[in-house]
Amino acid sequence: MKDKRIVITGIGPVTPIGVGKKELWQGVLSKKTNVRQEKCLIGRETWDIFYKHKIENFDIGAFGLKDDDIEYMKDWKKDAEAIDLYYLAAAIKLALDDSALEYTQNDNELSLVVAHENPGLEPFLANIFEKLAFFMKGKPDMTRKELTDKLYNACSRAGYETQAFMLLFHAAKIFNIHRYSLFVNNACASGLYAIEAASELIKCGRSSIAIVAASDHPDIYKYLWFKELNMYDKSGVLRPFDKNADGFVFGDGGSAIVLEDLEHAKKRDAHIYAEYLGGGFSLEGWKVTTPKIGDDFYQKTILEALSRSKKNKEEIDVVCAHGVGNRTIDYYEAKAITDIFGKRPAKPLITAFKPYIGHNLGGNALIETIILLLAMENNIVPPTLNTNTVDPRFNIDIVKEKRAIPINIALKICCAFAGYNAAAIFKKEIK
Amino acid sequence: MTEHTIKDMEEEIKRIIAEVIEEDPSKLGADVNFFDDLGVDSIKAIEITVALEKKLGIVIRDNQIPRIGTVGEALALVKNLMEKKNK
Repeated sequence: MKDKRIVITGIGPVTPIGVGKKELWQGVLSKKTNVRQEKCLIGRETWDIFYKHKIENFDIGAFGLKDDDIEYMKDWKKDAEAIDLYYLAAAIKLALDDSALEYTQNDNELSLVVAHENPGLEPFLANIFEKLAFFMKGKPDMTRKELTDKLYNACSRAGYETQAFMLLFHAAKIFNIHRYSLFVNNACASGLYAIEAASELIKCGRSSIAIVAASDHPDIYKYLWFKELNMYDKSGVLRPFDKNADGFVFGDGGSAIVLEDLEHAKKRDAHIYAEYLGGGFSLEGWKVTTPKIGDDFYQKTILEALSRSKKNKEEIDVVCAHGVGNRTIDYYEAKAITDIFGKRPAKPLITAFKPYIGHNLGGNALIETIILLLAMENNIVPPTLNTNTVDPRFNIDIVKEKRAIPINIALKICCAFAGYNAAAIFKKEIK
Repeated sequence: MTEHTIKDMEEEIKRIIAEVIEEDPSKLGADVNFFDDLGVDSIKAIEITVALEKKLGIVIRDNQIPRIGTVGEALALVKNLMEKKNK
C-alpha cells in the first residue's frame, strides 16, 4: 500500500505579536516583540521583576467558542485561572476555522495531540503560596493537620489541573474530538514530537485528520528556575547566536495546526500550507540543562529528518533554528548546522523566531513552525531580531534583514532541555 | 584513597583537562583557574565534563559543571564521586 502523505491545512497562532495568522504575519513583518515587564508582587512587596513577550488584552470570548464551553472552563478553573488552557482552546478554534473543516460533532475520526511542558503548574503554585500565607496570617499556632486540611480544600482542585489529561479532556469536550488522543511532553521539542506523533496516527490509518496543539504561559516560578540556572536575560532581549547573548526571554502563546491525509485534503479542496515530509529525533540521556557538546546527537537528528524526507541537504532553503540566546546551547546548535551544511553556508538561510514571540517553552517549536509556514507561503525569510554580531566561534551567518526568496523546503530544528533533539522538514509544492 | 592514588588521580585529571583545552599539563597548577587564567569558556567546560565522565567512569551533575574551575576543584569532585561510587 502506498504511504499516506501528510499535509497541513490549518494554522492557529495566539502570540504576543498577533492573534490569528494575518495579525501574526503583520507582527513579524513590522518586527513587533511586545516585551513587557512583569512585576511579581506578594502583598505590597515586590518579589521579583522580569521581562517576557506578553499577550495583552486576551479575551477568550472573542473566538466564537460557545458560552457554555467558556463557562465550563472558567467554572472548572475557579481556584486558579489557567490561562494556558484558554490559549490552547483559542488556537485550536483558529486552526479549525482556518482549515474550513466540517465534521460531525457527535462522532468523527478527528484525533488530537497536545504538547505542554507543565500544564496548570504556575497557577497551582501561585494559588498554594497565596493560600498558605492567608491561612497562616494571625494563626501561627495552627496544627499541621489543620493547615493541611485547609490547603487541601482550597487548592486540590487546581492541583488536579497539573494532570496532563485534563487539557485533552477540555479540548475534546469543546471541539467534539472523538478519536485517538495523546499528550506529549518532550520539553522545548514537544511541538515537533507532537507533529510526528499526529503524522503517524494518520499514516497508520487511525484518522484522516489530527489536530496538534500546544500552549504555555510561563510565569514567575519558571522564571525563578531559569534565573537560578543563570539562563534568563535580565534586560528582556533574546539574542540568538549573538556574542552578547545572555539567556532566554519567555513568551506567552498558544498554537495549533491541522494535519490531514493529502487525499482527504484534496477531496475537500482544502488550502494546503505544506507537506510534512518527515522528522528526526534523538534523546541524549545525559544532562537536563546542558547539551552534550562533543557528541553528534543533534547532527544525527537532522540527518534522520533528511533521510526520512528523502531530501538532500542542498534542497533545504531555510533553517528555522531553536536559537534560544544561550551561548552554550547556541554553540551546540551552530556546530550541528555547520557540520551538516558546511561553514557559513550560502544556502540554506538560517533564521530564528524567538526574538519576536519569546520562548514559549513546550509550545515554542509548534508556534515557530507556524511562523515558518507563513514564511514559506509568503516567500519571505523574516530576519533574526536582536542579533547584531554572531559569536565568532559559530561559523554561521544569520538572516539580519528580511529576504524575499522562493521557499519550497524548510527545516525546523530544536535542541531541548534533557537532550531531546528534533528536526522536521516541510515542503510547499505538492505534486 | 591513599595519598599515592590521589596523586595519580590528580595527574590523570591534569592530562584529561590539558588534552581538552590543548594546553601543556605543566600549566595546570592545582589553583590555576581555567576560566580566568586559561581562557576556558562554558563550551570547553562541558567538553572537560564529558572527558572526565568518559575516562573516569563517573557521572557529574548539571550544577557541578560550573564548579570545576581548577584542577584542585576537579580533583575534590572526582574524589567525592569515586568514593560514593565505591561505597
